Amino acid sequence: MKPLASSPAPVLEAHDLVKHFVAERTLLGRTTASVKAVDGVSLAVHAGETLALVGESGCGKSTLGRMVLRLVEPTSGRIVVDGADVTHARERDLRGLRRTAQIVFQDPFASLNPRMTVGEILAEPLMLHAIVPPAQRAARVAELLAGVGLNPRQAARFPHEFSGGQRQRIVIARALAVEPKVIVCDEPVSALDVSIRAQILNLLEDLQARLGLAYVFISHDLGVVRHIADRVCVMYLGRIVETGTTDEIFDNPRHPYTRALLSAIPAPSPLARRERRLLEGDVPSPLAPPSGCHLRTRCPHAEPVCAEARPPLAAVSPTHASACLFATRLPDARDLAPREPARDPRLETLFAAFAGDDEAAAAQAAAQ
Amino acid sequence: MSEAPILSVEDLAVGFTGPDGRRTRAVDGVSFSVAPGRTLGIVGESGCGKSVTSLAVMGLLPRTGTSVTGRVLFDGRDLLTESERTLRDLRGDRLAMIFQEPMTSLNPSYTIGDQIVEAIVRHRAVGKREAAERAVEMLARVRIPEPARRFHDYPHRLSGGMRQRVMIAMALACEPRLLIADEPTTALDVTIQAQILDLMRALREETGTAVVLITHDLGVVAEVCDDVAVMYAGQVVERAPVEELFRFPQHPYTVGLLGSLPRFDRARGRLAAIEGTVPDMSRPPAGCRFAARCPFRITRCETMPDLVEIGGDRATRCWRAPLEELAA
Repeated sequence: MKPLASSPAPVLEAHDLVKHFVAERTLLGRTTASVKAVDGVSLAVHAGETLALVGESGCGKSTLGRMVLRLVEPTSGRIVVDGADVTHARERDLRGLRRTAQIVFQDPFASLNPRMTVGEILAEPLMLHAIVPPAQRAARVAELLAGVGLNPRQAARFPHEFSGGQRQRIVIARALAVEPKVIVCDEPVSALDVSIRAQILNLLEDLQARLGLAYVFISHDLGVVRHIADRVCVMYLGRIVETGTTDEIFDNPRHPYTRALLSAIPAPSPLARRERRLLEGDVPSPLAPPSGCHLRTRCPHAEPVCAEARPPLAAVSPTHASACLFATRLPDARDLAPREPARDPRLETLFAAFAGDDEAAAAQAAAQ
Repeated sequence: MSEAPILSVEDLAVGFTGPDGRRTRAVDGVSFSVAPGRTLGIVGESGCGKSVTSLAVMGLLPRTGTSVTGRVLFDGRDLLTESERTLRDLRGDRLAMIFQEPMTSLNPSYTIGDQIVEAIVRHRAVGKREAAERAVEMLARVRIPEPARRFHDYPHRLSGGMRQRVMIAMALACEPRLLIADEPTTALDVTIQAQILDLMRALREETGTAVVLITHDLGVVAEVCDDVAVMYAGQVVERAPVEELFRFPQHPYTVGLLGSLPRFDRARGRLAAIEGTVPDMSRPPAGCRFAARCPFRITRCETMPDLVEIGGDRATRCWRAPLEELAA
């Protein structure tokens, strides 16, 4: 599952991406203050791989996700999708990018046109990109619906006739219509109830296994990230502060901010409650972040040197890097993320009765 | 559970009549109680009736088109029979509530200090100056740095986490016997959520206030609750002390909820997912409301099970309990 350094070229690469938003202008339009929403970020995702972008509100993860799809114009940097540099591609040339890379947003209520039937919603990308001949569109729509566990007979219905989880399935089916290689999932399960969330996460994993999709998975929920991601980038105030495999990030975090995030995850059981090491205070204003390391004003390990310059993302292992000057000197921190409590094996048997597959879901949808 | 409960809800039912005359039973035969110094979590998904339950307890549901039956015994009095005037005196005094969205719960035109002072003066025979001292003390108590200066800030000057602290300070200003917190951390970032949960835990120990915490998040329940009531489609389907609930749930819906949480011990693998969707509450099924989604259903589930005590302070609404036997 995990591509090594020698694996084929990534399907999506970003090099030193920067996005400044203007926050204040003078009367004549000269910029007087700007927010560095994304401040020099590089990443790469390979086929069949899930890269998670995690961080709190305002860390720049959503801006970054939109920027790699050219939905937000980068201030500087380079974007390469499927080997082609699309950084400066013009609007009409972006169609190729849209076929390769798609996005799924958080709110399935706002992502679907309420005046179009589900069939029309799914046929639109097929038509725009000439994916299948017109005569085969209806059959393809039915395939797409079945592929996400919905009943093909529901194609004539409107989005409001579906529940939140079903709508998110429709959004995913629409993204899949153009047969993309990479999907940016921006908090795809945050608006859903817990049990529905599990359905959608299972679906995303099934699709990845079947189609070899790459995901850029944007989330604030570390439990979900631990479950679904192969690699993780932790962001704070526009910068990646740590990146590594999921195991490296959760079992051996080498940045104080990652540690604080892990420490804040609610326990999965009262039997797994633990001492927490939380950061003091709030995230500073992105208009005037602290000099040097952005975390230093809240960091228990900060020293005067942290204020001097931006700490580089330095390798801890071939796959693991941290932007902390003291990355290798931080105390051991294996117990920050919650441990799964020992479970009664009989309870695991009961869980398994719920771990349905997509055929079961499709059968259920057909029965409705 | 030695102490007498401060709140005990008995057989609460809430029905709404829509403009088209359709009746929806949002809450149906809900019973629970909470003792001083304890935190009861009411957990369930969207539309299960948990928020309606809390609004019914507070007497905050609209009067027209709503029918509320059952008993809400608070400190020995049935709140459902009390006058609006009495309820207004109780709310914000001995009975307090905080909501999910701290921005919409604070008045943007007044300083946070003025709003806390207003709450104190409304319920206590104290002067403005004394109330202001108390307000600053409360801000300090919820760990707001420089409380005397923050007193003069307007809500928009504060972050989401700070605003929720202000809401908690306001709710606790009159030393309520019961605090109802409806999704108090849902709108907050994880690190801020952790700070607020730690604060709520500490304050409960300091004040002995009973707390009813309404949440969809089992992680929040695991962190702060003593007892849990799980709601599904307007009913309590399971009730248990928190450790027991997580050790072995006794209702299939709770099993599904627990199993659908991402695991920390194995990174990949399928999550338990409760297939299907909640029933239409204007036409609820006659039998067990979870049966259509339950992998353990049997013919008997076509009749509605009662919420039955099964010992050890636990109760479940399932014909198939104890569930351990299903795994054999």
